[in-house]
Amino acid sequence: MNYSHVIPELIVVLVGLILVFFGLFLPLRVKKGLGCISALALIASIVYILKSGVLLTSERAGVYFYEAYAIDSLSQFFKLVFLTVSLIVVIASIKRYEDNKYQDEYYGLLLFATFGMMIVASSNDLVTLFIGFELASMSTYILAGFDKTNPKSLEAAMKYYIIGSISSAIMLFGLSLLYGVTGTTNIEGISAYVAANGIADATGIAILVFLIAGFAFKMALVPFHMWAPDTYEGAPTVISAMLAAGSKKMGFVAAFKVFIVALIALRLDLQSVFFILAIITMTYGNVVAISQKSIKRMLAYSSVAQAGYIAMAFVIMTPLAMGAGMLYILSHAFMKSGAFMAAGAVTHMLWTKNKNVENADYLKNFAGLSKRAPYTAFAMLIFVFALAGIPPTAGFVSKFFLFSSAIQAGYIALVVVAILNSALSLYYYARLVKYMYVLPPAGETLKEPRAYLLAMLIAVIAIFAIGIYPAPFLGWAMNAAATIGM
Amino acid sequence: MSLPLISLMIVIPLIGAIIAFLSKTRNQARYAAIIASIIPLFITVKMYFQLDPSKMWVVESYDWIPVAGIKYAVGVDGISMPLILLANIVIPLTILFAFGETKQTSKFYGLLLLEQVGVIGVFSSLDFFMFYIFWEVTLIPMYFLISIWGGPRKDYAAIKFFIYTHVASLVMLLAIFSLYFTALAKTGVSSFDMAYLIGMYSGFDPAIKDIIFFALLFGFLVKMPAVPFHTWLPDAHVEAPTAGSVVLAALLLKMGGYGLFRVMLPMLPHTTNTSMVITVVAIIAVVSIVYGAFLALAQKDLKKMVAYSSISHMGYVTLGFVSLVPLSVTGAMYQQFSHGLITCILFMSCGVIQHGAHTRIINDLGGLVHKMPKLTFLMLGGFLASLGLPGMSGFVAEFTVLAGSITTLYVYVLIAVFGGIAVTAAYHLWAIQKAMFGVFNEKLGDVHDMAKYEMVSMAILLLLVIYFGIQPGLVWDVMKSGANMVLAGVNI
Repeated sequence: MNYSHVIPELIVVLVGLILVFFGLFLPLRVKKGLGCISALALIASIVYILKSGVLLTSERAGVYFYEAYAIDSLSQFFKLVFLTVSLIVVIASIKRYEDNKYQDEYYGLLLFATFGMMIVASSNDLVTLFIGFELASMSTYILAGFDKTNPKSLEAAMKYYIIGSISSAIMLFGLSLLYGVTGTTNIEGISAYVAANGIADATGIAILVFLIAGFAFKMALVPFHMWAPDTYEGAPTVISAMLAAGSKKMGFVAAFKVFIVALIALRLDLQSVFFILAIITMTYGNVVAISQKSIKRMLAYSSVAQAGYIAMAFVIMTPLAMGAGMLYILSHAFMKSGAFMAAGAVTHMLWTKNKNVENADYLKNFAGLSKRAPYTAFAMLIFVFALAGIPPTAGFVSKFFLFSSAIQAGYIALVVVAILNSALSLYYYARLVKYMYVLPPAGETLKEPRAYLLAMLIAVIAIFAIGIYPAPFLGWAMNAAATIGM
Repeated sequence: MSLPLISLMIVIPLIGAIIAFLSKTRNQARYAAIIASIIPLFITVKMYFQLDPSKMWVVESYDWIPVAGIKYAVGVDGISMPLILLANIVIPLTILFAFGETKQTSKFYGLLLLEQVGVIGVFSSLDFFMFYIFWEVTLIPMYFLISIWGGPRKDYAAIKFFIYTHVASLVMLLAIFSLYFTALAKTGVSSFDMAYLIGMYSGFDPAIKDIIFFALLFGFLVKMPAVPFHTWLPDAHVEAPTAGSVVLAALLLKMGGYGLFRVMLPMLPHTTNTSMVITVVAIIAVVSIVYGAFLALAQKDLKKMVAYSSISHMGYVTLGFVSLVPLSVTGAMYQQFSHGLITCILFMSCGVIQHGAHTRIINDLGGLVHKMPKLTFLMLGGFLASLGLPGMSGFVAEFTVLAGSITTLYVYVLIAVFGGIAVTAAYHLWAIQKAMFGVFNEKLGDVHDMAKYEMVSMAILLLLVIYFGIQPGLVWDVMKSGANMVLAGVNI
């Protein structure tokens, strides 16, 4: 058997274990290098996935471990999303945690979380999926509370942990019902069983309810989003980026696998549930984002709204919609992680000047940022315009294809709501831009940390690459959609 | 081997904009801006004399996103070439006029150049995807121009402008999707090519035809703007800096008119109930002309008056477009060109007065001719052109629109003539008399005349207005071929 396709996973998990082990013995001054090692491991994995060419076909490249683990363009596409988000986070963390003596554990946990997400992306079996889900969740629970001296960070971790555990339990119950009905945990086996024997209405709906509750917690769809704003606000900003841009997508890939592959027979129920969820989510997210003072909270609610747009793919269920949804997931990973990085850079700069700044992420601290920190402000400008869907950015291209697929399938009402939401969101994004570029500076010039700048640069380049030449990215996304039967 | 001339016209201002953004000194920024903006003018002039205006001159076409049939395709014909000429005349002259800007100069000139990129892109795109991108790209620099250099209520004006026109663009985008997918379903060919999709429109299912038509029309009419979708315009104009107002009125409004000729005109005869559509659009046009003029008459602020006069003048474009006669359609195109030049003079005059006298309220001004003789001369020229004095380009345009339309839309023309023209003359003359002539209002204090670069810029514009009033042929003939080309497919 040829195990070459799982090399990216092996790199990530082995480097994670090595970091944790050697971190026990290394002195602090050497530990600074651990972040660079993690970054290199992630880059190696990304390069490996791109070079393997799995993304270019819709054929399955390999199945391992008794059909529990599958490599295809869907899995590799999502792994790319997770790895690039982790890379951006790790690069910024090199600066953020340069003096932290626990940084070996930090990078280890980050890599384990990434590894868990990668398992979910490749899982072909409910048990594998659940294990990956939990590995990623456990690691991110700890990471959310990593600033142990900051009560907000602890509160964030606590909320995330309690609600996350309950959701996991609910999801597990849904998975066990599914196993009880079909007698198999293999995703394709379930699909075949349901296609042949059908599924009783009451059971089917119970399964859907539990699974949607479980997955929608990670996706942060309204009304399962309550944890997200508090956690994103309280957690270290780099970790908020990880949660919003990476771990949220794990919910989507799990939903793609379980709903679209295994339970496609229930598509009518799925469509009507997601129709309501999508509309509520995008509207609620955007409306609440308008009134936020904290940028991190605003980004959290905007991230909720964006999840609502992506959820449209589950309503439309055409190949183009699935491809567009995946392209949106990729774009959103860059836009959102970039925006959190910019917010993180600002709080970091303020904290290095004055340890006791309260509410460093508040909108008022962004006043005149274009003069205080021109590069950060410009990057933030790109991120928010991309999130608002202004061309020529990735956000526009993704929205273009997603909304056009809705028109194609005849979901006029849905797309009108989405477009009005998109216009509404422009209000709070433009307000942030106004603060940065129009208002007088709130203080003297700041020294912009280079690690953060590099992280933002990666995101900016990716956003323009997808926005200006989307053909290859759309191709990957369409292949990924094709592998789940679309 | 020919150079990719249109792409150069898009890329050179873009490079200029980047240089301007990065420049450290004011001089570096403004000279980079003026050079980068004037090179496209030379290219335009060169192309202008090679152009065969009766057919599309596709200069470049490459696959961009083959999966969705999206191309990078640019070209020019009789409809777009004069507007590209207009854009490349107006932007350098605006930059010249604003040579004295002192606040954040590198950004200021960079944003003006980005506007040039967006506008040329809109006028030369042959693919709806590109068209939409450039259409949206013009919004962002204007948002910044208003919100950074604007007047006291700039926040409100900028965000209102941004969101209002963005919503209209999104409605237009939905219509483009519908065009694309309906054509795709019929033929199986995926293409965003504008000419192809517009051509396919006639064969569509009647149920979707009108939705597509009115959604597109809405997108264009908001941009024009036509009453009742005009409310963003006065706010944006009053708060915008002079250069922003000039670009907004002279170029961004013209994008709406361009959309009418390029997209709506070939579709109009194929709507399910064409006479009803014509009636609706003609009413909108006439209401814009008359109501816009009355609104202008009621204004106390000189700049707001000029802003409302734009609505009134753009009404002629809509009227000429909907009458479907070659003379009036050409006249409407000519009105776009002519208004683009004239409105620059008007807004620049407002800017000079604001700068010199520190107010634009007409009643607080008075007798400025004694302190600002040069401005008064140029401004009077602009005002007379704007009210339609024979011998200037505005007269040619409005006369031909009315003369052409009277054959098909005589009722509306009568209303426009009797309701609009007298009022138009009234507010122009009344404003200039009160503001510029009579006894000097001593409360204004020390008022100085305009700077040299401002004068040169306005003088060139005035000369062009007079030249195109006496000798319209240079632009008229090109437009006429364009109009005939579109109308050839239109049989009422």
